[in-house]
Amino acid sequence: MLLEGKVAAVTGGGSGIGREICKLMAAEGAQVVVNDLGTAVDGVGQSRSAADQTVEMIKQAGGTATPNYDSVATPEGGQNIIQTAVNAYGKIDILVHVAGILRDRMVFNMSIEEWDAVINVHLRGAFCVAKPACVLMRAQKSGCIINFSSISAAGNSGQANYSAAKAGILGLTRTVARDMAKYGVRANAIWPAADTRMTATVPESARQIRAERGVGQAAPMPAGPRRPESVASVVAFLASDMAQDITGWTVGISGDRLSLIEDPRPVKTVFCPGGWTLDKVAELWPQAFGLDLRHLQRAGQ
Amino acid sequence: MLLEGKVAAVTGGGNGIGREICKLMAAEGAKVVVNDLGTAVDGVGQSRSAADQTVEMIKQAGGEATPNYDSVATPEGGQNIIQTAVNAYGKIDILVHVAGILRDRMIFNMSIEEWDAVINVHLRGAFCVAKPACVLMRAQKSGCIINFSSISGAGNSGQANYSAAKAGILGLTRTVARDMAKYGVRANAIWPGANTRMTATVPESARQIRAERGLGEVRVAPTERKPEHVASVVTFLASDMAQDITGWTVGISGDRLSLIDDPKPVKTIFCPGGWTLDKVTELWPASFGLDLRHLQRPEQ
Repeated sequence: MLLEGKVAAVTGGGSGIGREICKLMAAEGAQVVVNDLGTAVDGVGQSRSAADQTVEMIKQAGGTATPNYDSVATPEGGQNIIQTAVNAYGKIDILVHVAGILRDRMVFNMSIEEWDAVINVHLRGAFCVAKPACVLMRAQKSGCIINFSSISAAGNSGQANYSAAKAGILGLTRTVARDMAKYGVRANAIWPAADTRMTATVPESARQIRAERGVGQAAPMPAGPRRPESVASVVAFLASDMAQDITGWTVGISGDRLSLIEDPRPVKTVFCPGGWTLDKVAELWPQAFGLDLRHLQRAGQ
Repeated sequence: MLLEGKVAAVTGGGNGIGREICKLMAAEGAKVVVNDLGTAVDGVGQSRSAADQTVEMIKQAGGEATPNYDSVATPEGGQNIIQTAVNAYGKIDILVHVAGILRDRMIFNMSIEEWDAVINVHLRGAFCVAKPACVLMRAQKSGCIINFSSISGAGNSGQANYSAAKAGILGLTRTVARDMAKYGVRANAIWPGANTRMTATVPESARQIRAERGLGEVRVAPTERKPEHVASVVTFLASDMAQDITGWTVGISGDRLSLIDDPKPVKTIFCPGGWTLDKVTELWPASFGLDLRHLQRPEQ
């Protein structure tokens, strides 16, 4: 039992990947706070049944769980989620932030409401739960935070808000790992892929259209089903003491493929003694970088 | 004159790197809208003098510029900035989003106000200016957006808000590049390094402490990092010489010019049938165990 004696809080635990994480962690001995506002994938609506159903499943299987229905997007909601763990089980060891919504739109059509809604749940939410968790974890000198990012962080047409949020989560996670390392607290991010209600909103035809245009995810179709249980397996491992040296990483998990994702970093550097001037850039860029450039799509005329 | 006939709007044009971009673009023939709310580095206060001084410098040098004092952080402000370019010069070809503030704090001490303030200017601001610019650029089938990110996006102790915002800007820029490519509109990001009032707020002692702890930026800079160097690269990227360059992140710091790679899988392991907890537990140490970097060993 990999998580015996641990207390975990999982946001977005009422559906899909979040639900499978709650179930697996409970099966591995953790006491789990299942947080879910219970909205639709676009964030509309509210219901207690999502979190309640996950809790019921866990209890039926002999595990320990408590529901929480707060929104992650506010400091009060985030504080409540962490406090629920403390009230129910005395502490918090593991925080997994899975909660997220979609409001896909091409950037020239995207409203500020669509932008804010997605940023608030994913990115502001990540801060609103991580901050109070960090306060407690720092005091107890142990703990583990796992944030859900996405390959969309590397760019995905129609998802300016989601790409920004999911990339922002990587920046936050990398810095939390650095701020908290000396206190024995770890932070990592996940690039998941699974067939859940969230990916079901992208029609297969739309995915194919995107692929043909060379936009969107350039991911080959997986050989087998991409089950949320596989994602939960990796998350449970990262949350355990087996992973106590793993911090500051991004891990990709999609069905049968497990990946290390590298952070943005300089891959080629050219020096100009005295400093780069416009003349030097104009003169040297084509030779220095010209051959390295990827073309997303040739600029239309 | 690399930017003859172009119209540019530059947010944060009242100081530091933003000012040098405005000056150089104007010198290269662009008509420039200099946007700046005129705050301190922490976002406090407001003044017209920052943007006005940049405009004055440009005019003294024989160039054309117009000031704008809106905040980038609201859709109304962003719309106004773009509209100022249209009203003054008839169109917009280039948008450079440099505006940004700092509210450094360790994560366990960071307030929601410190979080929101930094996210709003950098990241929400990037959307609030890019969206109206994209509407116009899509219609005219040309244009170029350059957003300022930072190496801090790769993680920097004490900057949870700034790292999140600067990493988020990369995600936004990559997607804008994809959304806009078929309309002939480009989008790229910058990782700048320069000695300006913004980097002056990080005391050298703090930087040394971070370096000793293995935290923060690991930076060696023998050549002075001038904002003019950053402006050179931005101006190049905004020009027609760079018309095939989109979706990239470019680092520029004094004498070093870099291509920055996007996050990507660097090692992938397959488990036929799908990964289970037992398989992860069994195979992780042998497969990834040797690749892991250790930021800092947890204390016991």
